[in-house]
Amino acid sequence: MLAPETPDFQAYRGTEPPVFQNGAELECAKILDYYGVPWLYEPRTFELEVDEDGRVLEAFAPDFYLPEQDLYLEITVMKQSLVTRKNRKLRKLKERYPDVNIKLFYKRDIERLGQRYGLKLAS
Amino acid sequence: MTALALAGESQVPPDERIGEMYLSAEQIAIRVAELGAEIAADYEGREPLLVASLKASFVFLADLTRAIPILHHVDFVELAGYTSDETGGTTAIRFLKDLDAPLEGRDVVIVEDVVDTGLTLNYLVRQFALRSPRSLAAVTLLDRPYRRLVDDLPVRYVGFTVPDEFFVGYGFDVEERYRNLPDLHIARAGS
Repeated sequence: MLAPETPDFQAYRGTEPPVFQNGAELECAKILDYYGVPWLYEPRTFELEVDEDGRVLEAFAPDFYLPEQDLYLEITVMKQSLVTRKNRKLRKLKERYPDVNIKLFYKRDIERLGQRYGLKLAS
Repeated sequence: MTALALAGESQVPPDERIGEMYLSAEQIAIRVAELGAEIAADYEGREPLLVASLKASFVFLADLTRAIPILHHVDFVELAGYTSDETGGTTAIRFLKDLDAPLEGRDVVIVEDVVDTGLTLNYLVRQFALRSPRSLAAVTLLDRPYRRLVDDLPVRYVGFTVPDEFFVGYGFDVEERYRNLPDLHIARAGS
């Protein structure tokens, strides 16, 4: 986890300073901010599995939410072949919340964004 | 004929980053002519303003404007590209070159080389909308929709929906080179 970094984000719509999990998330936040696209960081946790007593067995909090697009964005820097668990969570989320729009950006997508926008991934 | 030969009897050393041809100049010309005819039909009598975002779209615009057989105007903008700030700060996108012409009451057609995430076009649309044009639409040579973050965009005309690749030639560069290649090529890794 990265140390709390609080650049003066202009398009961030949250109240607490975001604490990003990795450099790719930070850079994506900067790109969204650069283009003036309002964004929130992990604003909602979706319950995916609940037991008989109502205890949450599995949950999922997508990394970003873009309110103007009504779109959740999940960033993973894992290789595409290693994201089976995350893909399964996304499938569950779509089954339980069919009206929720979510996109998964893989490591390859982040690298492509980097090529397009000159992004430098922090290690 | 190789890409480098097309570039002008190859004064240029071979570059492995220029991959196979994806669209020939002839294929592009046919589609651009179709787009020009569509735009001309839609904007007959309205004298639209075509606004191209520099730099990659300048070749497309040069061909498109000559394929639109009605009165229209041309203008350019250039946006500062995103660069990561090592200090952790953020910057906001801005115009390096703004329009020369006012947009109020005009029919504006934004000319893009490629729509990918939609972030750049979304910014232009929002900025131009503040200037009270009569209408706003966009034409893009290439549509690469795989990482689209903004879907609500007025992209009325699409030249080609392309695979998830980067391209070089026909205005697209590799480190500012090869924009002059008449065909569109796949740009290989490392570019």
